[in-house]
Amino acid sequence: MNGRKVSSKRSAVGLSVLSIVVFVILMFPIYWIVVTSLKKEIEIFKVPPTLVPHELNLDSYVAQLKHGDFNMFGSFKNSFIISASTMLISLVLAIPASYGIARFKFKGKRVFLLSFLVTQMLPVSVLLTPMFIMFRNAHILNTQLSPILADATIGIPFSVLILIGYFASIPRELEDASRIDGCNRFSAFLSVFLPIAMPGVVVCVVFSFLYGWGDLAYGMTFLQDQVMRPITAGIFNFMGQYGTKWSYLTAFAVVTIAPVVLIFVFMQNYIISGLTSGAIKG
Amino acid sequence: MKRIRRFFRNGNIGYLFVLPAALYMILLAGYPIVSNIILGFQDVNVSSLNKPDKPFVGFHNYRILLEDPVLRTSLVNTFVFTIGCLVLQFSIGFALALFFNRGFPGAKPIRGLMMIPWMIPMTVTALIFKFMFSSNVGIINQALQAIGLVAQPIDWLLNPISARFALIVANTWIGIPFNMILLFAGLTTIPVELTEAAAIDGATRWHAFRKITVPMLKPVIEAVLMLGFIYTFKVFDLVFVMTNGGPANSTHLLSTLSYKLSFSLFKYSQGAAVANILFVILLTVSVLYLRFVYEDKEAA
Repeated sequence: MNGRKVSSKRSAVGLSVLSIVVFVILMFPIYWIVVTSLKKEIEIFKVPPTLVPHELNLDSYVAQLKHGDFNMFGSFKNSFIISASTMLISLVLAIPASYGIARFKFKGKRVFLLSFLVTQMLPVSVLLTPMFIMFRNAHILNTQLSPILADATIGIPFSVLILIGYFASIPRELEDASRIDGCNRFSAFLSVFLPIAMPGVVVCVVFSFLYGWGDLAYGMTFLQDQVMRPITAGIFNFMGQYGTKWSYLTAFAVVTIAPVVLIFVFMQNYIISGLTSGAIKG
Repeated sequence: MKRIRRFFRNGNIGYLFVLPAALYMILLAGYPIVSNIILGFQDVNVSSLNKPDKPFVGFHNYRILLEDPVLRTSLVNTFVFTIGCLVLQFSIGFALALFFNRGFPGAKPIRGLMMIPWMIPMTVTALIFKFMFSSNVGIINQALQAIGLVAQPIDWLLNPISARFALIVANTWIGIPFNMILLFAGLTTIPVELTEAAAIDGATRWHAFRKITVPMLKPVIEAVLMLGFIYTFKVFDLVFVMTNGGPANSTHLLSTLSYKLSFSLFKYSQGAAVANILFVILLTVSVLYLRFVYEDKEAA
C-alpha cells in the first residue's frame, strides 16, 4: 500500500502515465476556458466542439484594451490594490500577535488563540450585513477601504495561526544567545526570529493576497461604482450583461486566474506547506 | 537594565504584541457578529436603516422564516450540497492520495499542479462550470450528444435537480485537491515498515488498508471531514454566480438566501436571521472540531 518503491520499472511507468491521464481530466476545465478565449464566437458554437482553435483569435483580449464598455484592466488594478492592502494589514498585525502568543505566557492567551481559530471559520454571510451598515455609518462605503478592512478579517487569523507554529519552534537558547550578543528584544526579533519565520511569512503573504483576490461578496456589496470594483465583481457584472458572449467571458476568467497560477507555480512548496500545517495543526 | 529585564521576563508584555490584532478583530469581526444577532431581533429595512432606534420584534423574523418554504428548501439544499460534496471530494481525494503515495516518476510536480483548482477564485470556477453546463454551448451536452447518450441538449441549470447536481460537481472539483493534499500528508507519516510487515504476514492490500492505514489516519480523516464541512457549508460565491438560487429559488443555500434577503429585497433583519441560523450550525461544528483537535494534542 505504502510502498515507495514500486516493484518494477514497467509498473512505475504505468503509474506515471495513469497520473497524467488523471491530471488531464481534472485540469480539463481550465484548459477549456483558455482554448475558448482564443476562439472566434462562431467556432465556440460548433458541434462537435474543436479541441484546439482552428483560427487563432486574440480579439477577446484586444477588445478589452481598446474600447472599454467594460475595462478589464482597470478592475485588475483594483483587485491588486485590494489584495495587496489586505496582505499588508494582515502581516503587520499578525506577525507581532503570533510572536506574542508563541513566546510569552500571559493570562487569557488560550482565549485569544481560540477566538482566532473561530473567526477563521466565520461565514461571510454573518459579517456582511452588519459590516455594510457599519461602513455606511462610517462613510467609507464605496471606497476600497471597505473591502480591504473586511478581507483582512480572513487574512489576520489565518496568518496568526500559521506563524505561531514557526515562532514556537525556535529554541529559547537561540534567543538567549542573541541577547548575550547585545541584542535587545526588538532587534533579536528582527535579526533572529523574523528570518527563521520567513517561510511562514511567505505563506501568509501568498494566502492573504489570494483571499483578497478571490473575494466577491465584500467587493460587490460595499462598492457600488463599477470603476472601483475588483475583477471578480467585474466578471459577475459582465456575465449579467453579456451572458452568452463566452469568448469575452472566458478571456476575462483567464486574466483573473493568470496571477494565481503564476504565484502558484513559483510558490508551490510554500502553499502546500501552508495548507497542510494550517489545517492539521489548526 | 535589570528592571527592564524583569519587566520583559514578566509575560505580560505579550499583551502588547497581541493587542493590535485583537482590537482589529474585535472591531471588525466580534462587533459585527454581535450586531448581526441583534439585527435578527429587530425590524430593519430600507426605511428604518437610517433611524437611530430600530424596532425590536423578538423572534418575529425567525417565525416568518420558519413558515417560508424557501428557507426550508435552502436549509435542506445546504445540507444536501455539503454532504454530497463531502462524500465525492473525500472519496476521490482519498483515492488520489493513495495513488500518489505509491511514488513514481513525476508524482511530485503533478500532485502539486493539481492544487490549482483549489486556488483560483470561486467566481471563475462558477463561470467555468456555468459554461460547461450551459444548454447550447456546454461541452457536457456536446459530449453526451456526440456519444449518443442524449438526443436533445439537457437544460442543466434550468432544472432544480440537475442544477443542484451541477453545483455539487463544481464544488467537488474545488474540494478534491484539498482533500487529496491533506490525506497525502497524513499518509506520509505512516511508516512503510508497518504495511510491509503486514504484507509479509500475508495480509491482502485491502486488509492492510482497513486495519493499518485507516486507523492510523483517523485523526487526519476526521480533521479533513470537519474542515470540509465548515468550508462547504458556508460556500457563497459559487452558487451566487452559477445559479443565484434559481430556477425559482430552488438552489439557494443559506448563504445565498441571506444575501438575497439583505441586498436584493433589503430585508436586512431577515437576511441577518438566516445568517444567524447558518452561524449557529457552523459554530457547533467548529466547537466540535476544536475540542477534537485539542483532545488529540493533549493525548499526544
